Amino acid sequence: MSTKSKETLQMDPAYIIKLTVTLLITCVVVAAALGGVNAVTEEKIDEINRAKTVEAMKAVVADPDNTTFSDKLALTDEMTAASGSVALDSVYEAQVGGATVGYAIKVVASGSQGKIEMMVGVDSEGAVTGVSIVKNAETAGIGSKVMTNMPTASGVGVLSQFEGKSAADGILTVGANVDAISGATVSTRGVTNGVNAALAVAGVLG
Amino acid sequence: MNIGKQFKEGLLTQNPVLVQMLGLCSTMAITTSIMNGLGMGVSVLIILTAANVVISAIRKIVPDKIRIAMFIVVIAGFVTCVDLLLQAFFESIAASLGVFIPLIVVNCIILGRAESFSYKNGVGASFFDGIFQGLGYTAVLLAMCFIRELLGAGTLAGFRIIPEQFPIGILTLPVGGFLVLGFLIAAMQWALSKSKEGK
Repeated sequence: MSTKSKETLQMDPAYIIKLTVTLLITCVVVAAALGGVNAVTEEKIDEINRAKTVEAMKAVVADPDNTTFSDKLALTDEMTAASGSVALDSVYEAQVGGATVGYAIKVVASGSQGKIEMMVGVDSEGAVTGVSIVKNAETAGIGSKVMTNMPTASGVGVLSQFEGKSAADGILTVGANVDAISGATVSTRGVTNGVNAALAVAGVLG
Repeated sequence: MNIGKQFKEGLLTQNPVLVQMLGLCSTMAITTSIMNGLGMGVSVLIILTAANVVISAIRKIVPDKIRIAMFIVVIAGFVTCVDLLLQAFFESIAASLGVFIPLIVVNCIILGRAESFSYKNGVGASFFDGIFQGLGYTAVLLAMCFIRELLGAGTLAGFRIIPEQFPIGILTLPVGGFLVLGFLIAAMQWALSKSKEGK
């Protein structure tokens, strides 16, 4: 292309309008198509997410077969403040026969490769009933060992070791009262921070 | 239109990964298991073919100056469609590929083919270009997955082939991706130069 034609193109307002309109129309068409696809898939994706959440919550309560879960509780400022640097995602009440037996608390902690979304079950006495990982991006073969609850050197699953811990144990710390998976200390630390945050939130809930 | 030539180019002489060196990031990131490779390969193949056809169809009305922006809008549209459909109907694949599906938007193979092929060629040729380039990408992914999953994790498509204590774990890490890709590129270049000498 010659430089001369380039200059005339840049100066011509009609051409600029043509560019803008073409791009605008393309975007509108694509957006409409996406809206269509979204209408088809939205409900299905919500359903899958809810089913996954319930499954994750069932994994962390003491009596999964008889427990039902409330809708998300409204998060208060005290709850989010209690979870500190760990993001508090949602809190559900766990109920057996209509009575509240504890909480399923979803928090997002930082791992070695990104965020770890995890569900922590806490009973009404404030003790952890279970920890499960909803979503993570930890390194396959290393951090993933923490995510899949592999046993630590002491022989207990790295996630299972949190069961029964409560605020009375003080702040949980890797190396002090939490065992890490060898080579995956950062991932273990992330999960531990998540449990600490969930216990703090449960403390606010009472 | 020369389908035979396009086929050969996509899989061998102009292979998007091993010869054009496009899309290397996703190639290294997701090739840790056969199922991942297959899911990613097929996703890219579908998006590439669809984007190629659309871009070829509208190439005469796309002003030269904003063609890249138009390409990206079209590609992003298809990627988001595939992403939503995967999440709704192939949930396990969507979960294991994670962010790499949305990142197909910036996969250079698709933009590269739009710019170098479908913007200059007819709809039919662009369609086959999408299929063959997609197949070439998928073939490389599967080769990488095969090597990395078999030697790195000791499994194939989840089934254990090599007992747990023997696999070379480093192959499943990013560094293993670089190594395997390097060897594959070297092998490809060697084979191509051999076949040139033979002629």
